[in-house]
Amino acid sequence: MNAALLRWGLLGQAAGINARLYCAAARLSFRRQFAYPAATFWGLLTNLFFGALRVAVLLALFGLKPQVAGYTPADAVTYTGLTQAFLAAFSLFGWYDLMRTVHRGEIVTELLRPHSFLGFWMAQDAGRAAAQFLLRGVTILTLYALLWGLKLPEGAAGWGLTLLSAGLAWACGFAFRFLVNGAAFWSPDAVGIGRFAWALMGLACGFLMPLAFFPAWFQSLLAWTPFPSMMNSTVELWLGHVSGTQVLRVLGVQAAWTLVLLGLARLVLARGLRRLEVAGG
Amino acid sequence: MGRQGSRPLPALYLLRLYFRLLGAQIRSQLVYRTAFALDALAAALVTGAEFAAFVLVLPRFGALGGWTLGEVALLYGLAELAFVLMDLGFGGFDAPNLSAHVRSGSFSTFLLRPVPLPVQVFGSDFALRRLTRVVLAAGIVAYGVSRVDVAWSVGDVVLLAGSVLGMVAFFGGLFVVGGTLTFWTVESVEAMNVLTYGGRTLISYPMSIYGEWLRKTFTFLIPAAFLSYFPVLHVLGRPLPDGLPGWAAGLSPLVGPLLLAAAFAFWRVGVRRYHGTGS
Repeated sequence: MNAALLRWGLLGQAAGINARLYCAAARLSFRRQFAYPAATFWGLLTNLFFGALRVAVLLALFGLKPQVAGYTPADAVTYTGLTQAFLAAFSLFGWYDLMRTVHRGEIVTELLRPHSFLGFWMAQDAGRAAAQFLLRGVTILTLYALLWGLKLPEGAAGWGLTLLSAGLAWACGFAFRFLVNGAAFWSPDAVGIGRFAWALMGLACGFLMPLAFFPAWFQSLLAWTPFPSMMNSTVELWLGHVSGTQVLRVLGVQAAWTLVLLGLARLVLARGLRRLEVAGG
Repeated sequence: MGRQGSRPLPALYLLRLYFRLLGAQIRSQLVYRTAFALDALAAALVTGAEFAAFVLVLPRFGALGGWTLGEVALLYGLAELAFVLMDLGFGGFDAPNLSAHVRSGSFSTFLLRPVPLPVQVFGSDFALRRLTRVVLAAGIVAYGVSRVDVAWSVGDVVLLAGSVLGMVAFFGGLFVVGGTLTFWTVESVEAMNVLTYGGRTLISYPMSIYGEWLRKTFTFLIPAAFLSYFPVLHVLGRPLPDGLPGWAAGLSPLVGPLLLAAAFAFWRVGVRRYHGTGS
């Protein structure tokens, strides 16, 4: 590791936090995403193809109906665009990086480094997510605008609040992913738990269908979980389905869940590290 | 490949060998029972969640382009059933699995053994946990069958069985092509995902909902519509689109194996081109 970074890290530990170190981690992780242009291109193509299928399914469901559960057909098209745009950034198909580090024992090297483990992983994931959103998200949305038309948030306030909500959705989702990956401290086969969790997340965060289309009982059930905060809230803000003081309430719920899940992630990490056994070295 | 001049091994012996390879894999996968159960449950949940989302929202809309839930379930279940059966059988050819062998050089070991290469690759990755998906998919088909307004005849059952067979061969062929591509490159393999997973999703819904160009591309350029959409249309007593004759609904068991045969021809070219990693 770079000596300057290490010194910053040590200082940071003394101060409890070190913004520059985490910024550097995020920046490097951001840049790494640009290293595989071919993978990005094919990923984009797959996103667009699935986007086209999802547009067709939703428009066929609408038929001639002008509006269902507050969604117009144009809203539904934009919704499918947003799911394809956030897919990579929010790792909605799953994320096993931390799990792998624990199972392979590489976590030891990381624990030797003088910085907050959770903070460092969060910084790296922030860089990855930002790059994925720029590379794949913005491109997909542009293609959507050209092919099917795209609804955009209204005004500077609309944009600002929607982007804030997207940031919170990422943070909330990251905390959940980190928690699920924490299962690796207890089980050598945490992958199954992960698959389980991602399938649940896909249904409950509004990735498979907008939550507004679900039956009322299912929606009120989901309202008690953190999952809507991981995507659906941002979609509703983007489409302008939430207005006035309700916006602040939605953002507040997202922030509250993020804090709760990050707190839990810290707890699980502390517990897990106490149990951690690494063979060899 | 060596073994020139030697007599071909009897088919029964090869089949026994294949099941031995599967048996070994199944035993190893069952060692950690809890992990296996969780994996198996999760595998079903992925499919289950997707279909559940559709079932939960459909009441708000009534129907999908004139198709009832039972009719869509039939289409969706058949596609999923065939795809997961194919995934069980052709897992060894799936690009991520095969490219791991090619990159590490362990593919050379396959070439050294006195057993035909395909038998070894077929027997190299059998994910037993996918059985729960087979059960779930069969359940979705059964639900569809019980809900559609059809006086079932033997011909209908044969037509749908042939449709599943054709789909298994078709998607198996795509897996073989994707696996073969890893002899040249690992990068563009992702492009195959559009055809395999994209194709599966595409034929899970009535193809009349897609735009003209998408539907025609997947009928005449890539004959995916013949696999399950046309057979199901026929069973439901509806005419085929684009003025296609009724017998076109029975072409699935022809289209699939043709693609599979072409894929294996490509596979042989790829194997000849394979270079070991030198390790």
